[in-house]
Amino acid sequence: MTQITDRSMRTAAFKPEADDDMLICRCEEITKGEIRRAVYEGMYEITEIRRWLRVGMGLCQGQTCTKLVQRIVAKELGVSPAQLESAAARGPVRPIEMACMGNEKGGVC
Amino acid sequence: MERYDLVIIGAGPAGLSAAIEAARCGMNIAVYDENKRPGGQLFKQIHKFFGSKEHHAKERGFHIGEELLAEADRLGVDVSLDTVVTGLYPGNEVMIKKGGQVSHVRGDTVLLAAGASENMAPFDGWTLPGVIGAGAAQTMMNLHGIRPGSRVLMLGSGNVGLVVSYQLLQAGCEVAAVVDAAPKIGGYGVHAAKLARCGVPFQLSSTIVRAKGGDHVEGAVIGRMDEHGKIIPGSETEIDCDTICIAVGLSPMNQLARMSGCRMEQNPKKGGCVPVCNEYGETSVRGLFAAGDAEGIEEASSAMIEGRIAGIACANRLGFLEDGKAKEAVESNEQALDTLRQGMFAPKNRGKQIEKTDEGFPVSQHLLVTGFLGDDEVEVYPGVTHPKGLHPVIECTQNIPCNPCQDACPHGCIHIGSFITALPAVEASAECIGCGRCVASCSGQAIFLVNEDIGGGYASVTMPYEFMPLPEKGDIGLACSRDGQAIGEAEVLDVKSVKAFDHTNLLTIRVPAELSGKARFYKAAQQ
Amino acid sequence: MDTSERIAVHPILGVPEKGRQVQFTYNGKTMSGCEGEPVAMALKAAGVMVHRYTKKRHEPRGIFCAIGRCTDCVMVVDGVPNIRTCVTPLAEGMDVRTQDGVTPLAGDKADKEEADGTI
Repeated sequence: MTQITDRSMRTAAFKPEADDDMLICRCEEITKGEIRRAVYEGMYEITEIRRWLRVGMGLCQGQTCTKLVQRIVAKELGVSPAQLESAAARGPVRPIEMACMGNEKGGVC
Repeated sequence: MERYDLVIIGAGPAGLSAAIEAARCGMNIAVYDENKRPGGQLFKQIHKFFGSKEHHAKERGFHIGEELLAEADRLGVDVSLDTVVTGLYPGNEVMIKKGGQVSHVRGDTVLLAAGASENMAPFDGWTLPGVIGAGAAQTMMNLHGIRPGSRVLMLGSGNVGLVVSYQLLQAGCEVAAVVDAAPKIGGYGVHAAKLARCGVPFQLSSTIVRAKGGDHVEGAVIGRMDEHGKIIPGSETEIDCDTICIAVGLSPMNQLARMSGCRMEQNPKKGGCVPVCNEYGETSVRGLFAAGDAEGIEEASSAMIEGRIAGIACANRLGFLEDGKAKEAVESNEQALDTLRQGMFAPKNRGKQIEKTDEGFPVSQHLLVTGFLGDDEVEVYPGVTHPKGLHPVIECTQNIPCNPCQDACPHGCIHIGSFITALPAVEASAECIGCGRCVASCSGQAIFLVNEDIGGGYASVTMPYEFMPLPEKGDIGLACSRDGQAIGEAEVLDVKSVKAFDHTNLLTIRVPAELSGKARFYKAAQQ
Repeated sequence: MDTSERIAVHPILGVPEKGRQVQFTYNGKTMSGCEGEPVAMALKAAGVMVHRYTKKRHEPRGIFCAIGRCTDCVMVVDGVPNIRTCVTPLAEGMDVRTQDGVTPLAGDKADKEEADGTI
């Protein structure tokens, strides 16, 4: 269950910070500022932010930045990172070529 | 679809241990690992492990890995390498990818033993080549014989940061400093002390402000932090380094668990989001088990026992092992696990401020901040005594689960008792014969043999030494104090390299008598 | 201090077990490494730090996790892009090239147009 649902909770304006230009998602090259801004644009859930910015959706599949993104979003929302629901986990959990995906052993498709 | 009694995901310490127990019961098992060789991280661990002697203490990690593999081999366990598990679906259906093809298998029981991933700490320039994870450093130097850099800055003072820093020194790299945002060193004091006496400085309440360099690391700027975690203006200093190593903790690998739909919890004592498991490691999905770091971040020794418990439980679930026998086997393993989970660094004590040891001795605050014991602080501990003649001096000052030194001494000089987290005490009545077994058996390298008066105003100090090149008898060099400062001249009296000591050489130096309580390391004289 | 990147003798592990010396090319330049060791290790031993430049910011990247997870060390190996060099064993005659962006195949029209700003 999503625990953060009150979309009116953040109405203040986005304030730039000195380290906004720092990369957080190394694969998709998404900065801290972009993630922070997304929260002000109404993205409160990790799943929403993933879809909005593609953080954690690159080649490494979020193995490096997931916790970092969670921490940044939680700080902006003023909650503990543990209160944020993780993005949905679904297969393939590791990068895999489409050709390989379509090559199922004993498969019919 | 192929079907197995047990499908194990991950052939590290937990997965292999489970496979061994399950194979012993005659189960039909599949073990998958995405790497090119089994053993997980064990083959990168070249230090001696802590723990009880029944559970591989004082053995180096990679030797434990070799033993586990040999045991698994004997039982006919076949590990499918280069095999990536890409999904876990209802009904314990596992999707695997191997050699350009995907397939699905079903396990009547499934064990998640996928281990952990490294946490990261971003800073300006952290994407520059030359900024690496601590695991990468271990992989490079301990598996492939390649130095990660010439001069390395370590971020993180937990056990991983401390152990990897020491391994960097062993590989011939310099360690510029160990930096940590926390105000205290996170890992074992004995690990920190090994670094401090080699001259590695600790910079706590500090963090990396930025990595410098054009297309690779050419230095770093670190700064001190205030209590809110903000850099104190003007506190920035430059560190000369070509590599920055990040060791800021581990998180359980949990994607497969989350996919399976089992109940998850955020548990800071387990290092993050983990499946909720019962005492056998079974999740809320029937037949789906978890063990090792995937179930909660701990040491490899615990992972092996958890794996064994899960293997036994799976065998019992499917009727390969009768209830009575399973219960007995699980209980003895749980006891062992409980022993390892005691002491100041136990998972239940994470984040707690501990002022006194179980025995009531003050915990050295100096050690927690500088990485070394103060010269007078050390005197209060039961391992530090001053009898005439040769005797062990044990600078083991924190309650950690480890007891090989007690059994190492053939003359009963060292006493820990049945509670393995107790501080070792030197028995005044027992006679030290100078065999050095205790020195070599101490995984924390905290035992020295000292003779405070060998005549002529000199003392002798025997210390563990694990560096190249090995000094030779008759060499004249420098005696170093616990903080790595040269404090006087030292002559090498003896270098003992015994096979049973497993590459821990015993170096005996002669120092002026007044340095007997201070000289704890030896450095060759500058060329 | 020993400045070479390869450890000759290790105090615990002794002399590292390595495969035979083989030659490979890095951006067309001939280099040598040990057969079977990860391509990334051979490059590191030869002093190569930069494996690729990123797509958006054109920033250099190199080895980061060294176990095939982070994918920062991907390069074009024998004409195939996105090869994780830290887990790909070195073989005689391999052609290893710096990767630029995500899919640097010469014939990849869409990528080129995007880079040129034509789409």
